Amino acid sequence: MTQLVPHLFNGLTLGLLFALIALGFTLIVGVMEVINLAHGSLFALGAYFALAIIGGGWFGETALGEWWVSLPVTPRYILALILAPILAGLAGMVLELALRRTYGKIPLYGLLLTFGAALVIEELIRLGWGTGEQHLQLPQAINGAVLLGGLIFSKYKLFAAGFSVLAIIMVWLFLEKTPYGAIIKAGAHDSEMVRALGYNLARLRLLVFGLGAGLAGLAGVTMVPIWGLRPHVGVDVVIPAFLIIVLGGVGSFWGSVIAAILVGLSVGLTGAYAPAWSMMSMYILLILVVGFRTRGLLGKKSALEN
Amino acid sequence: MAKNILTRRHLLKTTVAAGATGVFFGPWKYNRVYAAGTDKPIKIGITSDASGQYANSGASDRRGMQMAIAEFNAKGGVLGRKIESTHIDTETTPATGSRVAERMINREEAGFLIGAVSSGVANAISQVAQKNGVIYFNTNSSSPTESGKNCHRVKFVWDGNGANFAKAAVKNSIDRFGDQWTLLTNDYVWGHNTAAATRALLEQYGGTVKEEILVPQGTRDFSSALLKIQQDSPNVVAAAIGGDDQKALRQQVAQLGMGNSPAWINNQQDWPDVYGLPLDNLFGVFGTTWYYKLDLPGVDDFVARYQAMYPDTRMRVPGNVFYNGYMAMKNMLEAIERAGTTNNIAVIKELEGHKMPAGERMQHHDAWIDPETHQVQQSIYLATAKTGSDDKDDMFEILNSVSPDDVRDTGASEACQLESYDDTPTFDA
Repeated sequence: MTQLVPHLFNGLTLGLLFALIALGFTLIVGVMEVINLAHGSLFALGAYFALAIIGGGWFGETALGEWWVSLPVTPRYILALILAPILAGLAGMVLELALRRTYGKIPLYGLLLTFGAALVIEELIRLGWGTGEQHLQLPQAINGAVLLGGLIFSKYKLFAAGFSVLAIIMVWLFLEKTPYGAIIKAGAHDSEMVRALGYNLARLRLLVFGLGAGLAGLAGVTMVPIWGLRPHVGVDVVIPAFLIIVLGGVGSFWGSVIAAILVGLSVGLTGAYAPAWSMMSMYILLILVVGFRTRGLLGKKSALEN
Repeated sequence: MAKNILTRRHLLKTTVAAGATGVFFGPWKYNRVYAAGTDKPIKIGITSDASGQYANSGASDRRGMQMAIAEFNAKGGVLGRKIESTHIDTETTPATGSRVAERMINREEAGFLIGAVSSGVANAISQVAQKNGVIYFNTNSSSPTESGKNCHRVKFVWDGNGANFAKAAVKNSIDRFGDQWTLLTNDYVWGHNTAAATRALLEQYGGTVKEEILVPQGTRDFSSALLKIQQDSPNVVAAAIGGDDQKALRQQVAQLGMGNSPAWINNQQDWPDVYGLPLDNLFGVFGTTWYYKLDLPGVDDFVARYQAMYPDTRMRVPGNVFYNGYMAMKNMLEAIERAGTTNNIAVIKELEGHKMPAGERMQHHDAWIDPETHQVQQSIYLATAKTGSDDKDDMFEILNSVSPDDVRDTGASEACQLESYDDTPTFDA
């Protein structure tokens, strides 16, 4: 049992990180019924914006740039944590403007457009930051190792898991406790009624897509110190995010969070005891759940099931 | 009853049609002879990755080949013919590798193929190349199978392989760190073969494998494996983790401060994968075939030529992947020159057993192409991170150089069965 506990703990932290990755994806799918295949690229874009902010890359080799990098890492990192997701969110809003022509048409158009956007964003990253591996600097306080129960854990990973909890709570409060959240949820439930009540549906969709993209960017800033930063880092994101929202039930906020934790636990535990199956375990979990419950863990009942 | 009279005109028409069909569909090797011409450029197909896991290394590999081509063209080409190259992205995907090789040979009319970082892709390309008799240089993939069971008469392997690096590192590391080892292995062909080579050597020198942790390709979170390693407390972890997986692993090991304890033996660190990263990401001992700070004649000039040709490249100095790409292309063109023909069999015979003096290759020992496996037998260097250097580019501290004789992959010789010359289609490129 003492051998198992660290792996359970590790699986839980991993699950919280997966939840952060899936959060923006589930929001866009749930509200707009758009599968955003550019989610991974927006994730990468957020991380690269953070790289530019922390490293002062946008100032170039100027006196301002030199002054900026002479500042301690902590304020630069905090600024990156706030600004990079906002910039990724703005990029997401531009994408939503392009997506508008696909609304009301077959879903394939939206899929193709977001897939194309993913390729464009990845190439833009290559042009802007090069093809090589990059490194995101971290404040000393959250870098390094911490000893828990005689085993070494990464301080940063614990920080990232804690930060994920915070992000999950903030998004939940936004959706549940603010009038904007109420409108978004109403829009997801019955968009025509929301429009009839005088709300601007186009603006609502823009906001939701921006928020989803911003959350993808936030996940990017948070995850790349663990995964490393390269132009195609976002490729690793889309499949787990998609799997988690299907497992949790499309459109269900808590379904996604629970599914992410289950995926984290299954990957963490198989990683320790049957490591060759660690990646496969999440797919097996999906098959097991969807095999018995097609709408996922907390998904709404389909009209076809009545 | 219909008459069936064979007229002279019918006979003539049938003969012409049969002849034309024969030329078109006939033995492919003869068609290729007709397609070649002495005044035409020699066409080389570059089959390197521009996307996927090895995109960055693929770009470096390509730059090396292109510098060699530029140098040969500057002095008039080879056999009086200019060298032309075409690149198609192999996407770090074996299926794409096959498709690209087919297209290079049948549509681009490439007479030679060169380039690879992934062993899976290299294997796929070489199967197509062998079927068509086209010489293929695997520049940078390092699975022992490439010159072992997947060897081919047309394929030549230019990088050191997992068995070479393991031989260079294992005995030394048992003596220095201890005999209880954990193997951390990427769950695909290169990982398995490299781990098998390490395991065999470990057992030969009296070491023990405490556990082998198989890590699926595409793993981004190594925390479970790293916790398991801590629980097992081996003396040494021998990691055969490649590509982006390795980058994620390095970052996570550095964050945990586990780079020094236990001792890590990393099979090979490709320069494009580590360039510009913090030094704590470069933990443990690892292998390489070349380093830009080797104190040998010609190295400084080589670096200067690189910098003159690629002034805007992020990597300000060439690394092992660039070096392998350059050396492979240079030797391909030199072999054509020595053979005095682009006939594939003549060039293959010129390459088999070819000796390359240490000075020419800017390494410590003479190298040669093993005629049994077609792998270049060369110096292997063991290195570790260089701390305390003011030069940001000077990241490696070379610990020692091991001669090719000491690291020869004997397993490859046993496994390799080259096709006969007769079974290899022949043509002039």
